[in-house]
Amino acid sequence: MTLTNEPPSSAPFSTPLDVLLDRVEQDMQEDLVPAEIFNNDDVFRAEMERIFTNTWVFVAHESEIPKAGDFVQRRIGLDPVIVTRDGKGGINVLSNYCRHRGTQVCQTDAGNSRFFTCPYHGWTYANDGRLVGTPLMNRAYGEPLDPNQWSLKRAPRVENRKGFVFASLSDDVPELEEWLGGGAWMLDLITQLHPDGMRVAGPPERYTVNGDWKTAGENFAGDVYHLPTLHFSVQEVDLIQGIQGTCEIGRTYEFENGHTFIGHAWTEAIHPGFTLWGYPDEYKERFDLSGLDETQRFVVDHQPPTVGTIFPNLSFIRIFSPLPDGPPAVMTSFRQWQPVAPGKLELWNWQFVWNFQDEESAQRDYVGGQYCFGSAGLYEQDDTVAWEGVARAAASPWMRKERLKFNYQQGRNSPVDDAPDPDWRGPGVHRNSGYGEHVQFNFLCQWLRMMKGESATGNGTTEGTQA
Amino acid sequence: MTAAAEAPDTLTVDTATYTLVAQFLAHEARLLDEGREQEWFELLDDDLLYTVPSRQSTEPRDIEVNRSAWRIRDTKAHVRTRLDRQNTGHAYSEVPPSRTMRLVGSVEVHATSEPGVVAAHSSLLLYRQRGIDVHFDLIPCRRNDRIRLTAAGPRLLTREVILTETSLKTANLGVFL
Repeated sequence: MTLTNEPPSSAPFSTPLDVLLDRVEQDMQEDLVPAEIFNNDDVFRAEMERIFTNTWVFVAHESEIPKAGDFVQRRIGLDPVIVTRDGKGGINVLSNYCRHRGTQVCQTDAGNSRFFTCPYHGWTYANDGRLVGTPLMNRAYGEPLDPNQWSLKRAPRVENRKGFVFASLSDDVPELEEWLGGGAWMLDLITQLHPDGMRVAGPPERYTVNGDWKTAGENFAGDVYHLPTLHFSVQEVDLIQGIQGTCEIGRTYEFENGHTFIGHAWTEAIHPGFTLWGYPDEYKERFDLSGLDETQRFVVDHQPPTVGTIFPNLSFIRIFSPLPDGPPAVMTSFRQWQPVAPGKLELWNWQFVWNFQDEESAQRDYVGGQYCFGSAGLYEQDDTVAWEGVARAAASPWMRKERLKFNYQQGRNSPVDDAPDPDWRGPGVHRNSGYGEHVQFNFLCQWLRMMKGESATGNGTTEGTQA
Repeated sequence: MTAAAEAPDTLTVDTATYTLVAQFLAHEARLLDEGREQEWFELLDDDLLYTVPSRQSTEPRDIEVNRSAWRIRDTKAHVRTRLDRQNTGHAYSEVPPSRTMRLVGSVEVHATSEPGVVAAHSSLLLYRQRGIDVHFDLIPCRRNDRIRLTAAGPRLLTREVILTETSLKTANLGVFL
């Protein structure tokens, strides 16, 4: 763990983790969340042990490593991993620690290589992880070391689901499809609208945010309530309309294991033809929706997901946006909230484009996407600094003394009908309102279950403690 | 890292031209540091292209910068909208605006094959302290510019910003480089 950016010592007010988690559970019965979970050393260490080394985590999209030998360096929690395409076309997720003394065998973010050689003593590994070389072998070891026994540590579970590569550092996890559950159903209607699929438009851009990974995760689980305030300036320059109505037209999708999305009823709010996120006709003509079920068809046409989070730290956003010059863009970004330290994350942002798009069209969506959501994005600039405030409050000695609890009680006494939709035929829970903060709670309930050591399957619970 | 896109980059310019361009780079930096964005905007050519390409750790080094991948790829219209948004007073990240100091150095100026256009390479170290932050952010970069020399003075035609870092240590690029 990085030690340089810890909050000021709050030792006199610290709480043993189990006591804290019990308090979190108790407070969540009242739709309250203790602030300190968003910046706490004990919590962070436990998150690495109980969540990030214990469940499926996204590591790459297959379009980033199309050819034999291609690799990208990624992270699972705090651990650097190398995601490789080996000579047989297989995808490997390897620890970037040499088995001899631990030095990192890969010092680059991406590249193409059949081998990784440790700079310290020269132990050399094939790109499927096998140890294939030890300098001065005869004199040093007498006989070759077993290439598999001394391979780079391999993630016990790796799956490529329709291009999205996930790995688990625990073998004791459900199948990826089962873990994703309704989240997989949702990912399909986002990424499977054309048989050629989507690809990354470029490498991920990365930047540090002094906010907690959970703050970003819960925001992208579906915090539409912040739009009319934090992002009002984007409407003032005509890049979005009707931002005050975002909660009214919000539609939630809450799935098992904390996976959560929120959509907007664009056809009601804009016009009946504004189906499929508002994609222009030249896209719609290319889309093939025949693989979608009836409910997925309804969702993509009328209430398509705007943002979402696959627990723990992969999120998504797709919005239609006018641009200052030329035609509008429909941007698609997947992003990952890499935990770095308590109250500190590194944001990884990939823009995605459709493989059927020509260069000009793909560039428009890519550049337009960065203009909205990226380190210089007109929306995202303001998100990141708002999240920093959460982590500061969470580390405050006074607020810990006060046992500050954040308010998630929206909807409790509101006249809005935010109950689960009884007519919903898709997976999970669906609500016809963006009010209620149910989506954030779905994400945090999964966090609590895993922190308290409950099974990663979550047993299909979708609603957490919130009614 | 490969040189900037414009090829004939080694033609010398006379001292007066060098001074003119170096003054221009210092002046636009001061305008931004002093919150005079509208005056800065007037120094942009109508054909402006302002890019911040992707940079990763790679081997060999000459593929570090990917010029078909960007953090930012702005035309003048994009920049106009950025400034308009800041002027709403609701662009929270820059309310109040970051206190900045742009240190411009290592200025080289070359003639190009395009009449009236010179190439300028410079390094920039941007100090930024935002709002009530107690810490500061440093954004180091190199810039490969093309500058049009007009009767009204130099105008920024293209700017390619090569960030020194692969992963930014500032929460956003809400400031111009």
